[in-house]
Amino acid sequence: MNGGLALLQLLRLASPSLPIGAYSYSQGLESALDLGLVTDATSARQWLHDVLHGPLSHFEAVLLVQACRALVGADEARLDAINQRLLASRDSRELRQETEQMGYSLRQLLAALPESQNQPWPSTLADAPVAVPVAWAVAARTLGLAEDAAVTGYLWGWLENQVMVLLKAMPMGQTAGQRLLSALLPELAVAVQTARTLPEDELSNFAPGLAWVAMKHETQYSRLFRS
Amino acid sequence: MSSRLPASLSAGWHAALELGYARLPGRTIPVRRRHVGPLRVQKHFVDATGVCQHIIVHPPGGIAGGDRLSIDVSLEEGADVLITSPGAAKWYDGFGRSASQSVTLALADGARLEWLPQETILYAGADVRLDSRIKLHGDASLLLGDVVCLGRPACGEHFDRGQWQQLAEIERNGRLIWCEHAVLPGASPLLASPVGLAGHSVVATLVWAGPALPDELHQAALEVDTPGRAAATQLPEVWLARFIGDSAEDAHHWLRHLRALLHPFTHGRPAQSPRIWAT
Repeated sequence: MNGGLALLQLLRLASPSLPIGAYSYSQGLESALDLGLVTDATSARQWLHDVLHGPLSHFEAVLLVQACRALVGADEARLDAINQRLLASRDSRELRQETEQMGYSLRQLLAALPESQNQPWPSTLADAPVAVPVAWAVAARTLGLAEDAAVTGYLWGWLENQVMVLLKAMPMGQTAGQRLLSALLPELAVAVQTARTLPEDELSNFAPGLAWVAMKHETQYSRLFRS
Repeated sequence: MSSRLPASLSAGWHAALELGYARLPGRTIPVRRRHVGPLRVQKHFVDATGVCQHIIVHPPGGIAGGDRLSIDVSLEEGADVLITSPGAAKWYDGFGRSASQSVTLALADGARLEWLPQETILYAGADVRLDSRIKLHGDASLLLGDVVCLGRPACGEHFDRGQWQQLAEIERNGRLIWCEHAVLPGASPLLASPVGLAGHSVVATLVWAGPALPDELHQAALEVDTPGRAAATQLPEVWLARFIGDSAEDAHHWLRHLRALLHPFTHGRPAQSPRIWAT
């Protein structure tokens, strides 16, 4: 595929208007605000930095990379194992529902697109719930995106969505949100490299504070978001 | 440096323990017990409800760099077992050498295991890999408790050197239903970050792999009072509770309170605490 079209497909996949419902989830951030762990632009930046350089680039994005590689190698058993690991690693009921719902929506969307005509959905994932990074890897293959583009787009989608959560729930001003992006984009580029080069036995989703806020969100009194 | 040690020491100490249990009418008994090196079980105790309680002992009292422990437990159909330990597992400064423990638990259909060791203490400089691989079959159920203390803050010792690496996997009928991968180098930013330990030094986890908790029981579990940060969630195939705090005692108090609360549902009877926990 020519580079111009691949870039356009990446912009489309990473767009917040991609109809998979990402805007309705905060991934624990709303709860971190409610519990006073995130209170201002500085603590928000630190929180996002630590999630990015912690479980996101040492686990979730690594499994996304592995899923991209399994698809390239047509290794469906491996793809199934990656999907199981992602689902089994979710730290709260809401996070599990989030990944399954978005994975399902992305699959439904792909099925309706002309790009997927000659690229069937992997048969090992036919009947099981699908974690969103695995669905994302399939989408990237379908849209002709390389692994680095797939991971970059995934992490960008996460960051933009988290900043949107801050704009709505903190609330943070638009310009402050853009300044936060300026601060974190170079970090995001580093995280992409981490995810692509991390040795298998250094996989880590250790983030007990994040797990705690994600669980606490389930009983938070007033909520805008579904996680 | 290690080349000057006697070969027997520089090679580290390997210890292995293999345990098997079977169900008889009204009670569970050990049917297999093999050990290599310094890992033992005390004489088993069958409580009034027929549960076989076993205490795993590691006589050296601490684990040094180069040591390797392996524990392999299997429960036959319907076996009902509780396994604990007499005291904290102390993993010492490895002085550049790593140590490891590998636990495998296999439960046949209808078996029930409570795996509730005392806390794991990682001294600064410990380079430790702890793997737990659990295979459940049919409707086997598992209550797994884990308390890990990073460093010894009471002695002014923080986990600023070494590495804690822990992998836990639970499968049911060959499918992964829960996993946790922790890699935490000493002085990791996650020790101080609110995303990680927020400056606390003790993490605890209680996992129930079995039928989903009724909502009112889950709610009651959320109410359990503790000075730590605690929460719980019902996932599709496991119920998971987590604690972050400052003392192993607080963690055990929280964990045992939860266990007592859950027990009538998970085991159909009140929780019996092994007497060793009272000492």
